[in-house]
Amino acid sequence: MTGTTGEPGTMPGPADAPVPDARMRAALRRSDLVVGGLVLLLGLLCLWQAAIIPTTPLYAQVGPKFTPYLVGGMVCVVGAGLTLSAWRGGWSHTLPEVAEAPPTNWRALGLLGAGLVANLALIDTLGFVFAATAQFVLVAAAFGSRHPLRDFGIGLAVTFGAYLAFDKLLGVNIGAGILEGIL
Amino acid sequence: MLRRTLLSTALAAATLPLLGGGARAQQQQQLYSSLHVFIPAGPGGGWDGLGRAIEQVARQAGLVGNFQFENVGGAGGTVGLPRFISQRRGREGSILVGGAVMVGSVLANKSPFGLKDVTPIARMTTEPGIIVVPAGSDIKDLQGFLDALKSNPGGTSVAGGSAGGIDHIVLGLLLKSQGRSAKEASYVAFAGGGPAQAAILGAQVKAGISGVSEFAEQIKAGRMRALATTGETRSLPDVPTLKESGIDITLGNWRGVFGPPGIKPETREGLVKFVTTLHGLPAWKEMMERQGWEDAFLPGEAFEAYLKRDEAATAEVLREIGLI
Amino acid sequence: MDAWSGLAFGFGNALTITNLGWALLGCFLGTAIGVLPGIGPALTIALLLPITFQVSATGAFILFCGVFYGAMYGGSTTSILLNTPGESGSIITALEGAKMARNGRAGPALVTAAVGSFIAGTIGTLGLSFLGPIVVELALKLGPAEYFSLMVLCFVTVSAVLGGSALRGLASLGLGLLIGLVGIDLQTGQPRLTFGIPELLDGIDVVLVAVALFAVGETLYLAWRHMEGKQEVREVGRLMMTKEDWKRSTGPWFRGALLGFPFGVMPAGGTEMPTMLSYYAERKLSKHPEEFGTTGAIEGVAGPEAANNAAAAGVLVPMLTLGLPTSATAAIMLSAFQSYGIQPGPLLFTSQGELVWTLIASLYIANIMLVVLNLPLVGLWARILKIPTPQLYAGILVFATIGTYGISNSVVDLMLLYGIGIIAMFMRRFEFPQAPVVIGMILGPMAEQAMRQALTISQGDWTTFVTRPVSLSILLLALLGLVGPRLWALAARRS
Repeated sequence: MTGTTGEPGTMPGPADAPVPDARMRAALRRSDLVVGGLVLLLGLLCLWQAAIIPTTPLYAQVGPKFTPYLVGGMVCVVGAGLTLSAWRGGWSHTLPEVAEAPPTNWRALGLLGAGLVANLALIDTLGFVFAATAQFVLVAAAFGSRHPLRDFGIGLAVTFGAYLAFDKLLGVNIGAGILEGIL
Repeated sequence: MLRRTLLSTALAAATLPLLGGGARAQQQQQLYSSLHVFIPAGPGGGWDGLGRAIEQVARQAGLVGNFQFENVGGAGGTVGLPRFISQRRGREGSILVGGAVMVGSVLANKSPFGLKDVTPIARMTTEPGIIVVPAGSDIKDLQGFLDALKSNPGGTSVAGGSAGGIDHIVLGLLLKSQGRSAKEASYVAFAGGGPAQAAILGAQVKAGISGVSEFAEQIKAGRMRALATTGETRSLPDVPTLKESGIDITLGNWRGVFGPPGIKPETREGLVKFVTTLHGLPAWKEMMERQGWEDAFLPGEAFEAYLKRDEAATAEVLREIGLI
Repeated sequence: MDAWSGLAFGFGNALTITNLGWALLGCFLGTAIGVLPGIGPALTIALLLPITFQVSATGAFILFCGVFYGAMYGGSTTSILLNTPGESGSIITALEGAKMARNGRAGPALVTAAVGSFIAGTIGTLGLSFLGPIVVELALKLGPAEYFSLMVLCFVTVSAVLGGSALRGLASLGLGLLIGLVGIDLQTGQPRLTFGIPELLDGIDVVLVAVALFAVGETLYLAWRHMEGKQEVREVGRLMMTKEDWKRSTGPWFRGALLGFPFGVMPAGGTEMPTMLSYYAERKLSKHPEEFGTTGAIEGVAGPEAANNAAAAGVLVPMLTLGLPTSATAAIMLSAFQSYGIQPGPLLFTSQGELVWTLIASLYIANIMLVVLNLPLVGLWARILKIPTPQLYAGILVFATIGTYGISNSVVDLMLLYGIGIIAMFMRRFEFPQAPVVIGMILGPMAEQAMRQALTISQGDWTTFVTRPVSLSILLLALLGLVGPRLWALAARRS
């Protein structure tokens, strides 16, 4: 869905050293504007999807479109409200957590993202055990672990244990990969 | 809730020999050393139940050495069907368990693949529908219900499963038999058997349609009145079928076995032989009795012809209520 | 058999060594699967169904009930410790429970959940023994119109405490409502907001969304703000509840239980609505509202957990007295009855009195077993928090993967998990509350379906909501909740 576009870039934290307060506030306001816009967009998306629901001749007093229109309309109004409030200065500058936040850790986010992507890409081919182990190593590295080999061992033990518990105890097979095929 | 699930048979394999050991049926000649069973639904449902019943009987009789289950549920079977078609095309030793629900969902979801893309092997079981009214209703019999439908379809609210499902189709066909259109139905869809039954027991709706087994006990206890069943023969001794009452509708929630597309004629023959042998076993009769299933065994070409008729009738109603 | 002699008979039967063994096995299995995300009691019982061919009916049902109650206990553990709810009834527990755990109060959170579950489970089972048939007859009087009014009442209760900013709270609610719309429309069979993806036709699972919002979103946010070389130290803290904790928990336990049981009995009730209502009721009633959503308030764990367990007992009422399966677990238990040739229905209590009373007696026993099993485990569970940050969060994500992919084998589900997780990360940064998303997702579809069912029955007559007395009373209650506090404030100002 929406909401993944990069506000972090527009988000210089206070630890970025001597940024004038006014400039920071302007940046925060811009990011709030983006959020308001995205909520508005989400509402429009819902309205568009509601519009393309096929109408049926069914005897239904309230059709399938009624609620989507209602929800879409509500999200649009809220989105417009948020955009307006951002236009008037936004709300991010009032949040203590934003003011105290350290700068964006691109390394950690990147490694974590890589972990998620690795899991998605490998799980259908290599199977759950290896995909989730790869994810484990990358996520642990994202949070500052410096022992990838040890993490690999732990990850393998955890995922293999989970696999065995599900497969042998409950008869639920978590994916079918290489290892799972051998066993 | 549970969708697209993959199950191995590890549990059954591990526990049954330990717990069982009792009635060991006479050993048959092994037909498959390993059989892959694809269920286009999550575990615990009707198709899964049929698949596991086949496993249990066939393994105990020695017809099949080993079973592998694959559950890929979702959207009335239309999520799993393409996977079965593409991964198992032309391959031996693989079956799909499906049924009447798929006929409707394939049509309604405009799925590019349908049951025409797999090889019909046999219809195994069926569960006819039943039409009921709350015990205190003014409607006393089927004729009363039909009159109500004819004179005031909008005011005759009927509870059942999800829209476009078998229950809805039965109501549509009934309306058509009274010279009305299926789209005039005042059909109240409920997500599960519980809430639908509650609405009927509480007389929130005028009538209800569902599978016979769902309502049988409520009827026995006198909390619902049965008007008719939709099978070819009576399901309950003192409830007439629609056919007996002069309405030419027979419809049931059948379940059956299919082979992959593009298999050789002898592969198909092999599968038909397997289900026929299975169906002939006393253990299978026992299983059906215990599960409360009605036998509807129909192998090979006869099943294929039945499938065509079922598809046509379903399509007609779905078109009228605007789902296709 | 009246209730007393039935219970006496049942206890006599359930207290045999074999049946106690089945109860213990069920409790153990149930706790284990409750801890594992993604696997609920319904699936477990479905997988255990083959044993019905080998085991006596009494033994099998004692086992199943143990699994059912045990899953409710286990579900809260992961909610509190890892912020990953295992099933829909424990989503609300994660709101305050996870915050308590992060602030060194994992022990008290786990204890209040266990004791609350025990108290509520016992109250619920008492209700099942003595009030069952009466309550269920009353519940049958409720139709779709009443359910819709009930949903309106829920929305009003919940929206009164949407969080800091009304706009952002409403945006979160809207997102939840929107996610709830995805899938095939029950009333007309039309696909909505599915973008042509067949995997979306069945809708999006609420547990998946909760795990994405809480666990994945949190992990992403922490990585975003992660400081190299700075190790986060988590305190396990004291394990037992203080006197103050006991005092603060008692009210919520009983209120939660009294709220949960009737909702469980209702055919369209379930466990989600009462846990939500209990949470917001406790938030309003608490003398420590500042702890809610910040350091974690014990009332916010005690109430919903109690509501969840009492509702679980309530679900058994329509199943045993009327043969009505009102939840997935109940439906599967019913099919187990059928494989014994027992037809659960209105006649079950009379025709299978011995089995039913043994089953009810074993519920009391299972409840005691579970609290005895779980309390000593609290120390062990809480130690999970001692795992170093990198491995803990890596492990949480593996857990989330198991919960979504493990059951469904669908990469689409994993993408949804991560996609919603990314949205949750930004929601966290811009301070959008997360609870309204879950609430919108649960209540929205229920409210919509109930409204449309009611309108189909009334042939489009909107006055059906105010001409039915019960529906009208509920709506008036909602109105009172909406304007009452304001009038109160006005009157107070004047005097």
